[in-house]
Amino acid sequence: MDLKPSPERQILFDTLTKYFENEYKIADRNTAAHSELGYSKEAWERMRDLGILESLIVPELNGFGGTPLDISAVFEALGRGLVVEPFLETGLVSTKILSKGNESQKKLVADLLENIALPTFCHSENDTDYRKSYVKTKLVPDKEGNFLVTGEKVMIKNASGASHLIITCRSSGDYADEKGITIACIPSNRSGVDIKSFSSIDGGRVSDIRLENVAVLKTEIIGNDGKGFEIISEAIDFGILAICSEALGIMEKIKELTLDYLKTRKQFGVPIGKFQALQHRMAQLLVEIEQARSAVVNATINFFDSNERSSVISAAKFSIGKIGMLVAEESIQLHGGMGMTWEYDLGHYAKRLVLIDHEFGDEDFHLQKYIELQ
Amino acid sequence: MDLNFTEKQQEFQKEVRDFLDKNLDTKVSEKVRNGISISKSESEDWHKKLNNKGWLAGPWPEEFGGQDWGVVEKFIFEEECGASGAPRIVPFGVGMLAPVLMKFGSDEQRKHWLPRMLNGEDWWCQGYSEPGSGSDLASLKTTAVKENDCYIVNGQKTWTTFAQHANMIFCLVRTSNEGKPQEGISFLLMDMNSPGIEVRPIITLDGSHEVNEIFFSDVKVPLENLVGEENKGWTYAKYLLTHERTGNANVAISKRKIKKLRRLASETKKNGTALVNDPLFASRLAQIEINLQNLEITNLRTLSSVENGEAPGAESSIIKILGSEIEQDIDNLTRKSLGKRAFINEPDAFSVGYNGPEIEPKAAATASGKYFNHRKKSIYAGSNEIQKNIISKMMLNL
Repeated sequence: MDLKPSPERQILFDTLTKYFENEYKIADRNTAAHSELGYSKEAWERMRDLGILESLIVPELNGFGGTPLDISAVFEALGRGLVVEPFLETGLVSTKILSKGNESQKKLVADLLENIALPTFCHSENDTDYRKSYVKTKLVPDKEGNFLVTGEKVMIKNASGASHLIITCRSSGDYADEKGITIACIPSNRSGVDIKSFSSIDGGRVSDIRLENVAVLKTEIIGNDGKGFEIISEAIDFGILAICSEALGIMEKIKELTLDYLKTRKQFGVPIGKFQALQHRMAQLLVEIEQARSAVVNATINFFDSNERSSVISAAKFSIGKIGMLVAEESIQLHGGMGMTWEYDLGHYAKRLVLIDHEFGDEDFHLQKYIELQ
Repeated sequence: MDLNFTEKQQEFQKEVRDFLDKNLDTKVSEKVRNGISISKSESEDWHKKLNNKGWLAGPWPEEFGGQDWGVVEKFIFEEECGASGAPRIVPFGVGMLAPVLMKFGSDEQRKHWLPRMLNGEDWWCQGYSEPGSGSDLASLKTTAVKENDCYIVNGQKTWTTFAQHANMIFCLVRTSNEGKPQEGISFLLMDMNSPGIEVRPIITLDGSHEVNEIFFSDVKVPLENLVGEENKGWTYAKYLLTHERTGNANVAISKRKIKKLRRLASETKKNGTALVNDPLFASRLAQIEINLQNLEITNLRTLSSVENGEAPGAESSIIKILGSEIEQDIDNLTRKSLGKRAFINEPDAFSVGYNGPEIEPKAAATASGKYFNHRKKSIYAGSNEIQKNIISKMMLNL
């Protein structure tokens, strides 16, 4: 038995971690994260040059990775670096969907690697209903054999800077049916697209998108009409695996920051880490983070087992949600006032960690899903 | 056992409600309900209205302009204010410094400073914590050295709430290094406009500006600004801290927030049914409500023993722990209940000049920011760990 990452992936992880530590300063990240665009174009380009995107993309589409193991290693490093650039929605989930498309849609992946396209995934329509099949946005045929799309997408990440929108639509069935979901990929400047964007607490921008009789060509449909669910389901599961790995990277970083603080901050003449009350809390964090890592490993190695995937993915997202909040809250408390400040890195890690529970289904959603699956 | 209010207390409760009905500006209470800091002038306006009614300093003795409220009247007043979304009275002057001056200050100090607190001439802030002295407050290093007709103060304070608004500060300073650290501390009043004082903002993780650092370099302070005796400041500070920690139950505020959360959750759908009926959510909500009910009774039990002449001891520590944790639990569940909408952070949505897109429900504009900001509640006013130390020492004799 060997549950260690392969030497290549360990090198990839170490290289990225070192790069972020040296070149991706949290203060600069925060400035970009709370700007109009929500991230830094320049940092995005530098990281693209480094080959991070390729590591998320399969060789058939000019990448050199794209397996669950690659994705998990890369996103753990991205989490440690608190990277706000759109690797999740654009680099991973969008490319997984586009890889199931026609030649021109596959070419969008190449364009992304060339930095001349920036697609994003527009799926959610309800703030609190996390079911993957929740799609109401209507897709109706027009006389020329093309389509018109009308509906609303909510809290979409990085839509304001995107070149293309990958939109899930309903062509038949009821709003939560798995059958009857059709995926369309259109340029974001198409008439009838209205994007309203907000500042996101964890950095970046989130948008509500109104689609009003938006024209979609039949060549802009990904896969078959009405058969989109399986495509998005797998892509979202990749997204969950990635975001759980990101959370793991954040938790490891938070653990280091907190441990360092316990060893250096002195009160009553000794480092506060000498107090047993705090030692036990820190030890509990370590125990919980180990459990979180095991949940992610379990999801990674069973990702392509069709009987297991849904269950291990929900188990991982539940574990990350529950443990993530504990780690965020405890680490702030162990820091005292320092943990509350904008200037210190910890709070920014804690914000992202907590908000990860609001993406792709929260701990309650995945606990219920896990129960249903047994 | 009787936990009901007397008839007179009930009348008072009604009087407070009527007053709030007539005098509370809805714009201001909307801000308060949504956790937005109100401006200095909004605070001052509210203080003025209360002062005209004689309620800015209700618990003060009548001779100083108060109403001689007992603990129950104070409780009723604070609860009604909390329930209606009234701004908190800025506590540093009327709630914290005033009791110290009344007990330990000179006649001149009382005559000079107390009326100015009531008429709004002074805005006080509190100079206790230092970068190296938080939980271990007695190790503080800011020095005051007597030179001719004044003290010369050098050092640094931190986490100073509303120092950006204040024109006065009361400080703990070191006047002696002899004996135990507690024995060399003095209690000093300082003018924030004195040469040598610099205030720098500390922005908190949610992006708001409430606390500050203050730097003192060769600041001259008149000798008459010493409160009580030199090197007895620790006694006064401990007296003040007991005052700071009472009234931390915030039962009415938490009740108001639970009510709002319940409404939010009944208007929100999860997988086709109302969120409030989702078993996992309902269980979380019910547990917080039960905790809050228990805290309400715990708080009343404490009040009733104080009313019957028992001194509040470590009970205020129990209440501080529970009050802060319950409020944090509510903020946490509110954030959760908003689902993906919790990503939004647009505190300006409650300002007049906001021209961004509409946010629905509006609470989402600040819910996550508030959740993170309120992590401070288990840290400030003596961290909850320090409260547990106090309980261990005073109640358990460990």
